[in-house]
Amino acid sequence: MPRKKRTCRFCDAKEVYIDYKDDKRLSRFVTEQGKIIPKRITGTCAKHQRQLVKAIKRARHLAMLPFVSDSIR
Amino acid sequence: MEKARQYETTFIVNASLDDTQVDAVIGRVQDVIVKNGGSASALNKWGRKRLAYSINKKTNGFYVNIEFTGPPPLLAALERSFQLDEMILRFLTIQLDQKALAARAKAAAAAAAPPGPDPAPVPPREPLFKEPAADRKS
Repeated sequence: MPRKKRTCRFCDAKEVYIDYKDDKRLSRFVTEQGKIIPKRITGTCAKHQRQLVKAIKRARHLAMLPFVSDSIR
Repeated sequence: MEKARQYETTFIVNASLDDTQVDAVIGRVQDVIVKNGGSASALNKWGRKRLAYSINKKTNGFYVNIEFTGPPPLLAALERSFQLDEMILRFLTIQLDQKALAARAKAAAAAAAPPGPDPAPVPPREPLFKEPAADRKS
């Protein structure tokens, strides 16, 4: 499956820290079922993917993102 | 000597309390911080939000975010007080490391500088990843 973007969008924006409180932005990296999208699809680099996953898991703990969501059946 | 470190905690208060009671809970948390040698630097109340899943059979929560500095032993006392308080449903405390602090400093500098022209609104994009339909067993 071809990558959507060549470069990591966080590297382009020179972001150092991905905040777990920003659930609107984090929800773009999560499927409709609530699963985390792999980096080969989003084009994120490994370093930022690790930070992103940590932020998503923290947001899940605080009930800002679901662990599982049944939206489409 | 223990140096004061910067921490941030976000916790969810029972949403069925009224505002004065919520403020009382927040006041208790701040007392614990101060009593154990810390100092709270910022308090953000996000208000009532819908939870992504039910916690203790509740669907809404009142989110509060506090940044504070203090010595490391403060954390144990703070988290213990969160555990004991029945009105606090969830809590998450993190230590702000250099990357987080650098991002905050950058955001503060960007906010202090006069904002430039508004960037063009981003059109809504296609979802990045469509789940295959046969993924879930019914």
